[in-house]
Amino acid sequence: MCMMAIKVGLARASASLQAYRQLPPVRRKRRLHTIALGYALMAPAVILLLVFEFYPLFSGLWISLTNWRLTRGDFIGLANYTRAFSDPGMWHSLGITFTYSLISVPLQLVLALLLAYLLFQQIKGTQFFRVLYFMPYVTSTVASAAVWAYIFSPDIGLLNRLLEGIGLSGQRWLGESRGILELAFGSLGVQLPGWLAGPSLAMVSLIIYTTWVFVGYDAVLFLSGLSNIPNELYDAAKVDGASGWQLFRYITFPLLSPTTFFVVLITVIGTFKAFNHIYIMTKGGPGDATTTASIYIFNQMVVYNRYGYSAALSFIMFFVILGLTIVQNNVAGKRVVYD
Amino acid sequence: MRTRNSMRVLAVILMLAVVVTACKPSAGGAAAAAVDQISLEGKNVEVVLWHNRSQSDQDLLQTMLDEFNASNPYGITARAEIAGASYNDVYNKINAAIQAGSPPNIAVAYQNQAAFYRSQDAVIDLSPYINSSKYGLTADDKKDYFAAFLASDANPQFKGETLGFPTQRSLEVMYYNADWLKQLGYDKAPTDWKTWEEAACKASQESGKAGWAFIHEASNFASQIFSRGGRILAEDGQSYVFNSQAGQDTLAMIQRMAANKCLVEIPVSERYGEQNRFANGDVLFVFASSSGMNYYADAVAKAANFKWDIAPLPQTGDLHMNLYGASMSVFKTTPEQQLASWLVIKFLGEKAQTTRWAAKTGYLPVRASAKEDVIAAFKADPKWGPAADSYAKLFDWANAGMVESPVAGYDPVRSLIDTDVMSVVINDPKADVKSLLDTAVTKANAILKENAPQ
Repeated sequence: MCMMAIKVGLARASASLQAYRQLPPVRRKRRLHTIALGYALMAPAVILLLVFEFYPLFSGLWISLTNWRLTRGDFIGLANYTRAFSDPGMWHSLGITFTYSLISVPLQLVLALLLAYLLFQQIKGTQFFRVLYFMPYVTSTVASAAVWAYIFSPDIGLLNRLLEGIGLSGQRWLGESRGILELAFGSLGVQLPGWLAGPSLAMVSLIIYTTWVFVGYDAVLFLSGLSNIPNELYDAAKVDGASGWQLFRYITFPLLSPTTFFVVLITVIGTFKAFNHIYIMTKGGPGDATTTASIYIFNQMVVYNRYGYSAALSFIMFFVILGLTIVQNNVAGKRVVYD
Repeated sequence: MRTRNSMRVLAVILMLAVVVTACKPSAGGAAAAAVDQISLEGKNVEVVLWHNRSQSDQDLLQTMLDEFNASNPYGITARAEIAGASYNDVYNKINAAIQAGSPPNIAVAYQNQAAFYRSQDAVIDLSPYINSSKYGLTADDKKDYFAAFLASDANPQFKGETLGFPTQRSLEVMYYNADWLKQLGYDKAPTDWKTWEEAACKASQESGKAGWAFIHEASNFASQIFSRGGRILAEDGQSYVFNSQAGQDTLAMIQRMAANKCLVEIPVSERYGEQNRFANGDVLFVFASSSGMNYYADAVAKAANFKWDIAPLPQTGDLHMNLYGASMSVFKTTPEQQLASWLVIKFLGEKAQTTRWAAKTGYLPVRASAKEDVIAAFKADPKWGPAADSYAKLFDWANAGMVESPVAGYDPVRSLIDTDVMSVVINDPKADVKSLLDTAVTKANAILKENAPQ
């Protein structure tokens, strides 16, 4: 595939050169100026990309091949990568990340779509509600995460006060490493095996926060998708006697698929890169119950000062996200209806 | 005859060897002599000091440095900068600065952090500067410094090199609500763990209140181990030993108290949560640094305004206290800048400066000659109440001070103690404390090995 592209590129370049040589001198000079101008206009962007994107990327790759601590380390080849694959901490953090993504992505999508559908109706105060639901997304993550951490606080938090107000017992929320199913069945006196415990309550608390932040943003994307669907289609379907569900199922949902695909893509990537709110709210705890891959990489760098190793973990994470994106592109991308 | 002559020759050789060895300057002496040779005349060296204190402490520090700048005969100009809100902030910032090749000249650092900087060849041994006949401390100065404070900076991992110099120290103490304790039927702070636990559980019976504020903080754990006669790191610095009986008893108690709801867990997201709850009268006991006395006094005065005091943590035998408080480390630069940095630190350690600093911040002064003045300052300030008397006792308690772990790589071990040990027992009343500690010690020893000098 790659060789093919190179061959095609070379053939085109050769043809362009041939055509250029056949031009009369005046036109050749003008053509040269045009080309020079093109490169000159591209130069700032290329320089910025080289300095701020490619240099750090390749520098990071180099660091991942060394035993870099605080200062330059010796070249150790792929040792950091082989170490990573036998590191239970890395696998655990990947498992936590997948759990976080698998629960929060569908939850966000369903709620966002529902919200967008409601906001798309001709109801009073639509603009107000749109702003209201978008607010969490534009609020500083650090500030909102800190506020939510207080809401989840076991002894002084709002949530437990509410629960206790209606006669339920308070929970430890961000401090609870036990699974939600284990807790639920435990309160009924049923002991579940470890593999059935479910995600920790701390993780569920983080997912509640994530959903609160991103639902509004996703809903705005869905709203823009909804506004692109021609009204005539709905009118025609209504004339044919389609119900509300049928309108959604056979018109809205398929024609919204490009937006849905985009939202899924960015949400999955977002959950895999999530860091700020997790660090503020739990720092990966209790224990390692919310130690996602990004928190694990951060700890390896900042707490353990293993710069080379954390660089290798970052590249592994990069390939995991890349792989997921390719899979999504190939699987879900084929189901997208563009017209 | 021949044998007798041989013996005489041997005796003469031995005597000569002793004389030669005695006269030859030691490696340390040579290094100190090299420091004597450095001249700062006309160099106008600038020194930057990074710390983590509040703006009002920064103001005092800079005022003192301004006095130094005006009075030192070498033309040194020193400037203090706030590099973060905690020692960890400063540590992270310095790690980044070392990579960038631009660390400050001086920074506050715990012994283990200084050891890590040393393992990266970033800080210097201060012994030659301390022992320099021209720029160092006099014999009287050395005698005036609290010996335990000076000793705590000699690093076992680096052959006793002095990787920092104390300008302040503090102890982990128990803050307690004296009024509440009296209501519960205790005339004084509990001195043994059984009574303490009983008092904490009694206090927790009241709705919305708790006996003890459990903090995700390895120093809390270390202080409790010390108080039970245990250690975090073996005396020779070669292995971690917090899985001892003292460690198991400490962990079992935390686990029991969590299960019996005798404590409140302070969420990791809440900064100073234990202090706020204490000030509101919602928590009976808090284990924290004596350097926080100022903040506790202000917080209590603004909130529930009860009578409070400090005491050593309950003990099982002889008094053992967790001695901490960061020292000042000097980063590797030019000989002139290093010397200028040492002179700044030396100035901050002088009686006048250490007295002012201690009276303002609540830290302990580092010189015996400053003790009475600082105590007098505390007693003259009505906000301290009975805590002023307890502050005076800190000097005695400091004699029983122990350092947690002055070796490189202790920061990840602290994190490990929280995630793999303390957080587990808080969540799981059935977790096996012995096996948790054994596993954590194995991991900690691997980290120790990873960070050992090559």
